[in-house]
Formats: sequence, C-alpha cells, structure tokens
Amino acid sequence: MERGIVLVGLSHHSAPVEVRERLAFPDGRLEPALRGLVALPSVAEGVIVSTCNRVEVVAFGSDSQAVESDIPRFLADEHGIGPDLLGTHLYTHRGRHAVRHIFRVAASLDSMVVGEPQILGQLKEQYAVAASVGAAGRVLHRCFHKSFEVAKRVRSETGIAEKAVSIGSAAVELARGIFDRLEDKTALLAGAGTMGELTARQLLSGGVGSLMVANRTYDRAVDVARELGGIPVPFDRIERYFPLADLVIGAATGEEFLISPHVIERSMRERRNRPMFLIDLAVPRSIDPAVNAIDGAYLYDIDDLEGVIADNRGARAREAVKAEAIVDAEVDAFWRWLETLDVVPTIVALREKLEAIRKGEVQRHLAALGPLDARQREAVERLTASIVQKILHAPLTALKRHQTDAADAFYIEAARRLFRLGSDPDPDDEEG
Amino acid sequence: MEQVFLGVAIVLYLAATVTALMGVAVQSDVPRQLMPRILWAALAVHAAAIVDRSIETGHIAITTFGEALSGLGVLLVAVFLVVQARRPLMALGAVVSPLAFGLALAAAAMHGGVRPLPPALHSIWLPVHVGLAFLGDAVFALAFSASLLYLLQERRLKAHRGRGFMRHLPSLETLDRVNYTCCIWGLVLLTLGIVTGIVWAHEAWGRFWATDPKLVLSLVVWGIYVVLLQGRMTAGWRGRWAAQLTIAGFAVIVISLVGVNVLSLGYHGKAF
Repeated sequence: MERGIVLVGLSHHSAPVEVRERLAFPDGRLEPALRGLVALPSVAEGVIVSTCNRVEVVAFGSDSQAVESDIPRFLADEHGIGPDLLGTHLYTHRGRHAVRHIFRVAASLDSMVVGEPQILGQLKEQYAVAASVGAAGRVLHRCFHKSFEVAKRVRSETGIAEKAVSIGSAAVELARGIFDRLEDKTALLAGAGTMGELTARQLLSGGVGSLMVANRTYDRAVDVARELGGIPVPFDRIERYFPLADLVIGAATGEEFLISPHVIERSMRERRNRPMFLIDLAVPRSIDPAVNAIDGAYLYDIDDLEGVIADNRGARAREAVKAEAIVDAEVDAFWRWLETLDVVPTIVALREKLEAIRKGEVQRHLAALGPLDARQREAVERLTASIVQKILHAPLTALKRHQTDAADAFYIEAARRLFRLGSDPDPDDEEG
Repeated sequence: MEQVFLGVAIVLYLAATVTALMGVAVQSDVPRQLMPRILWAALAVHAAAIVDRSIETGHIAITTFGEALSGLGVLLVAVFLVVQARRPLMALGAVVSPLAFGLALAAAAMHGGVRPLPPALHSIWLPVHVGLAFLGDAVFALAFSASLLYLLQERRLKAHRGRGFMRHLPSLETLDRVNYTCCIWGLVLLTLGIVTGIVWAHEAWGRFWATDPKLVLSLVVWGIYVVLLQGRMTAGWRGRWAAQLTIAGFAVIVISLVGVNVLSLGYHGKAF
C-alpha cells in the first residue's frame, strides 16, 4: 500500500469530442460529483477538471493502486456508460507524472492551443469548487496552488503566450476563407460563457463588424454585450436572429442541440444563401453536426479548429522547451515537499536527528568524564541510547498508528516542525 | 518569327503556372509579385506573335482554329491581368496560366499555313464580331476559373481541411463576386457578339437568321447565363449552385468552340 497522487482522465489528445462531451461535468454537476468522488473509500482528496478539451480526475489517497482502479469506475458510474468505452481513451498518470501533468495543464502546455490563457481561469474555478465542498485537502491544495504559480512563471518567463494562437484567431483565419471582408459581418454569440465571450472578443478584434449576444440568463447577455459593444438579444427567440448572423458562435451547453439544421436551412433562405460560418465551442456540442451539410453553411467544432491551430505549433516549440524546464524544477520542489508527508521518511529523519544529537553530546562530554575503559564507555553509550529510545517511543507510536489521512498528515507535520526535520515546508506556504 | 514568339510565350505561361502554384501553396510575397510580371511579359510576346501573323496574312489572324485558340489565350490573359490589377488573385492565376499555356501550345501544334480569306469574310465585321465574341468567351473562361476555385475552396471548407496545399485560396465571397462580375460582362459581350453576327449575316447573305450550329449553341449559352443572372438577382442564387451553372455554361462554350470547328459545321465551321 502506497500513498500517492493519481490522475485519470481524457483530453483532446486521447479522445474525440463525441467521447469528451459524454464525460463532461457541467457546472451544476461538479459539486455532487466531487462529493461522490471523495466518498470513495480509497480517495482522501479529489479535484475534477472538466473543460471542453479535457475531463480529468485528480485524487490523493493512501492506497494509490486502489485510487487508480476506482476512478475509471467512478467516471463510468457518474455518466452511466460502460467502462470498456473509456478504456481506450483514458490515461493514467501516477505520482510525479500526475503532478507534472497538472502543472503542464495549468501552464497551458497541454492545451489544444499551447499558451492559450483560458485554461488557467477554468482550472482556478474548478479548484475553487473542489475547495468549497471540501474535496481538495492539504496535498491537492498545495498541488493546485503550485500549478497556478507555475503557470504564472511560464507566462512571464517564456514567450509562449505571445506565440500562442487562440481559438478565436483560428476562427478568424477560417472566416477569411469564407468572407471577403469581416468589417461588414455580424456575429451572433449563443451562450455568453467565459469561452464564448473570449472568442467573440477575438472575432471583434479580428475585424468582425458587429455582435449580437444571447444567453440563457439575459442579464449576463446584457453585461457581455455592453462589455464588447454588442447588442443583447433574447435567448428564447434566438432563431429570429440567425438570418442576420454571418458568424455564429455556439457556446451554450445543454441537453440537446441548440441549433438544428432546420433552423439554419430556414435562415439560409432568408439570407438569400449568403454563407454562414458556425463555430461550435460547446462540449457537449450545441450545433447539430448535420448543419455542415447545408449548402452555404460551414460548421466547425472545437476539434476542427485544431487543424488550423496545429500549423502554428512549430514556432512555439522552442518556448515550450523553456516552459517544460520550469515545470520540471517545480515538480521536483513539490515532490520533495510531498515526500516529507510520508511516515517512514519522517521516522527515519527523527531517529537520525536524535541519534546525531546523542552522538554529539557523548563526544562533547566524554573528556569531562576522564579516562574510561571500554566497559564504562559502552555503558555511557547504552545509557544515552536508551534515553533517546524512551523519549522517541511515544511520538513514534503515534506516527506509526495509521488513523485518517488528515490526522496522519497532522502528526507528520507536527513532528517535522517540532524537531525541525529535513526540508521544512516553506514559511510562505499556503495551507488550506 | 511568329513561332519563336509563340514558343517564348508558352515557356512564360509555364513559368507563370509554376509561380502561381507556389503562391497558392506557400505564404510568400515573391510569387505574388512575380506572377503578374511573367504574365505581362507572356502577354506581350504572345500578342506580338499574333500581330506578326496578322501582318503576314494581311487580315486579323483569327480565322483558323489554331489562330482562334491563340487569340482566345491572349484575351484570357489580358482580361485576367486587368482583374488582377484591381485585386490580386494569385489562385486565379494558377488556373488561368495553365489554360493559357494549353491554348498557346495547341495553337503552336496546329500551326498551319496561311490561307487566303474567303471573300465573304472580307469585312470590318470580322474583327468586330469575332473580337466581341472571343472577348466574351475569355471573360466566361475567367468566370469558369473562379467557379472551379470556388468549388475547390468550398470542398476544402466543408471537409474541414484547414491546412495543406491550397491553403491560400481566395475567400468564397471573393470568388463568387469575380464569378458574378465576369458572368455579367461575359453576357454583355456575348449578346453583342450575337447581334453583330446577325447584322453581318444580313449584310453578307441577306438573311438575319440561319440554322448555324454555332449560333444555336451560342443562344444556348446565352440562355444559361441569362437564367443564372436572373436567378442571382431575384432568387438569391449564389455559391456552389452558381459556380456549377457557370461551369455548365462554359462547357457548352467549349463544345461550340471545339465541336463546330473540328466537325466543320455551318458557316463558322467552314470559315476556319
């Protein structure tokens, strides 16, 4: 049985959007899912990261093998799908590799668009949810806080963000293949979430002339429209506005497709067949893929945008190397800290420390005792060793007795602080 | 001398084709600036070849099939360069250049001796009627080229192939607009070509109308483009359907051009 951090998940690297959308945790489902996760006997702490590009479960527990086998089952149960469907798409990272993965995700090194800034915000939000329901504990608190620091360092110390190409600018590039000029074009944002707002902003800065904003919560539509200089439109009558829209950004998740081929066909007639460019950012998807078959309508989902984005990756490779070095160093630092949480090294360190004190003191006072023969000298050694032994007995028993993970961690930490053992946690450490 | 000029023009068209294809494949300003220059040079020597031959024959050299293809090539390149000067369209050059190359090559291959002009064709109407008709054909060829690119670009966008060769094609809107504009001008020129033909026929033979296959096919082409433009203006036809119809109309033009002359049908067939 070995304690450890395990990360199980899937991302745009391993699974197509059809699979990702089935495993996604929409906002409302995140909290109950987190409660379910930490209710698993093997899991002491857990965080769920669910974005349109990835669904990952990070868990910490005293038996990492049990954690590793429990998470896929948890995912399958949560979404009511067979574990065999997941098999080929899921990846598992253990220990250091799990930490490295989290750091890389936060630093946007694992993103579809390397260096895109959205992921950090999403990670922070979802970590906050995990913290608020008490799913994230000591280890994951520190792990995620560190990951945010890593992201900040990578951003400020490498040029990765400058080289990055966003979903929005990829969309602009595609739009230029359809439209002659964007200045006289109107975009309709359907679903004014973070991702949608950002993409709309990038379309506007890419030259798109005007913007309509629809959102389930109308107030949010009004806010975003004001922020971006657009016009809010009512979400429940959104079909009326499709004929006016040259570009449509579908960013509203829901149980079923928000935009059907039927609606677009009708809009195309009203538009006198002027082409329409539709971008589906939502996972689960918000636009029926059949829309792409309509003459004059060009639908791209989030995976399709990768093709455009992939081109720009070469230029960013060098910056990514620098970023990986930062990640490596931070993983090492985190790992040293994590190891201090283990019982065995703590016990060893405690014994070594007291033994060193004993030896030093014996050495120092041996001269004062005058010349001793071998027998007397051995008695002194035994006497001092036995004192140390007696003093250590109670603390070691307490440390060795496994209780809950949180209690264990408390005792280990206490021992390390009281006896000043090895690499102390940083003074500026953020303890949750 | 004429064959030398034509030979140089053929080589230059080939060079323009390669340059334009490079311009479509890679993002670089070099082919973008080079291609029009090569084409202007090609146009100059090609025109010189035609002028040279016209001086030799004593009338404008557009009466044999080879001469017709050569003349069509020059007009196509000239029309393209006029459009290109207003709005750089590298990809269109990648279609026009090989077309011009093929036309010039065919003209060189079919190079025949100079024939005396039949008396019926000795008229001011010859350059006017044939010039208008061929200019119309050249403009329709440009519409065809734009339509071809439209269908390519459309397929690329539908299939979500953002990358690879052909990534620098013009936008659908641009290609559709080029197609539209060319169809309008083509139709105007074709109409004038048909009218001048009828007037000329009346002058030469005293008849307005003859069941000449060329005339019949030209009226078919005329009908196709009238329907297309009507649909565009009233029914909002555009995009793929408009491109397909443009290509269909151009196919009839090619049939009328090649078929009538190869099979020596009617007045037009015999004339060449």
